[in-house]
Amino acid sequence: MNPVKENWVEVRLRDLMSLPDGWGVEEGREVYHKLLERVEVHSQAVVFRISLAGVRRTDVSFPRESVIEMAYRYRGQKGFCLCDLSDDNLAENWDAAALKRGQPIFVWSRKGYRLLGPLPSTGLRKVLDLIMEQDNITTAELARHARATVSNASNKLRALSDGGYILRREQAAATGGIEYVYKRIR
Amino acid sequence: MRSEIELTANWVNGRTLDRALVNAGSPHANSIDSVTVRVAANASVMVDAAARLLSLLNQLVACTKRVVLEFESEDGAMGYLNRIRFFEFLSPQVLVKPRRPSVSIGALRRGRSSSLVELVQINRGARARRLPTQLAERLGDACSERTDEKELTDAAFTVFSEIIDNVYSHVYEQDQAELDGFVALQVYRNGGMAKVVVSDSGKGILHTLRPTLSDSRLLRLSDAELVVEIFRQGISRHGNTRGCGLKASADSAIKYKTVLDVRLPDCRVFLTPARGKYEANTAYCQEDLPLMWGTHLCFDFSLGN
Repeated sequence: MNPVKENWVEVRLRDLMSLPDGWGVEEGREVYHKLLERVEVHSQAVVFRISLAGVRRTDVSFPRESVIEMAYRYRGQKGFCLCDLSDDNLAENWDAAALKRGQPIFVWSRKGYRLLGPLPSTGLRKVLDLIMEQDNITTAELARHARATVSNASNKLRALSDGGYILRREQAAATGGIEYVYKRIR
Repeated sequence: MRSEIELTANWVNGRTLDRALVNAGSPHANSIDSVTVRVAANASVMVDAAARLLSLLNQLVACTKRVVLEFESEDGAMGYLNRIRFFEFLSPQVLVKPRRPSVSIGALRRGRSSSLVELVQINRGARARRLPTQLAERLGDACSERTDEKELTDAAFTVFSEIIDNVYSHVYEQDQAELDGFVALQVYRNGGMAKVVVSDSGKGILHTLRPTLSDSRLLRLSDAELVVEIFRQGISRHGNTRGCGLKASADSAIKYKTVLDVRLPDCRVFLTPARGKYEANTAYCQEDLPLMWGTHLCFDFSLGN
């Protein structure tokens, strides 16, 4: 049983693989379906941390067809990030897979995070860095912080959310009604 | 009519095999009903030539031609081919002279050499899940004195897994070929290199890719230029989100200055790394070669730093 803490779940990818080395479209799709079962079992979870502990090597096709494809499928609804990925060669192939699919994915470690896959534009990068520092932000908070209009702040947050960099959740606003809060994927 | 192919060079590799085919004329030609391949006593057949010859002979049998493989000596080339399991996978309809080995030495000693991965079949059946790992680790073992052995092994894993997956996905799962494909590795310590070969009898990557291209820039490319682009930018007939396999493979191979030899049905493209990538202007292309179905790749990895 995977530990469920608040609204995130950790999945050990190695548990879904037949060998420590993962390769090819076929195995990637097999793992995709196993991962989908986990996601459906934890339907309340918003973030899935995929641990690469025990995964020795993968090619590019395997992650593209499994985890990256899953992140793409659930973009905007659920977030997927990676942990226990310290091998540069492995990270390079996951980066290539994320780039090919056009799906960003964060890797978390004790040192912080790194982003694999497509980078946001320079203008969006600053907003993304801010959200990564403070966990979440509302449109009004960003507008205040960046001394921008609410409309401009909203557009940037929406672009990051649509691009798969952050999650957008609804919450009750202090003034009544609904507001969006934008969260980092961790 | 008969076609007689003479393998007389001291070292028979993919290039010298092609030269012998050019000299003899295309064994696939409709006018040819009988093909004899003669291997001289002093000839040493390298693993790339062995895999291509195996595919070609099986193709000729599939075309109902009478095929004879004749060795001047039972030692040398014949012994080596037996060691790499060549005769196990050679169509039983090929007549081997003076006689087909009764025992496969390769089957008996399989996996026992640190410098060899014997021929492995690729077909529509179960995938050889451990094969890329096995090839990469054998190559890593051969390069154990390199300071970057781990990086080389990991890169080699990417090269082999992407290439082999490409053959499974594009050739055998899409019914392009009835005949098996083959993979093998041989370390040549004296030559300071390891050859890894992947050979299939499909339609060839260009024949399947060209009809699906819509980009006018790509359509104008020669065969050699298009092969370079397949490995450089990853072109796929399945759209932009696919096609990373051969590119990923090349990106990893390039890091180790790997030379890539691509034999297609009627041409051969020889890619040498330049400025950290494969480029069209340094690719050597030999066209109008005798027909050999499929895509036959050979990677030459340098064993030294």
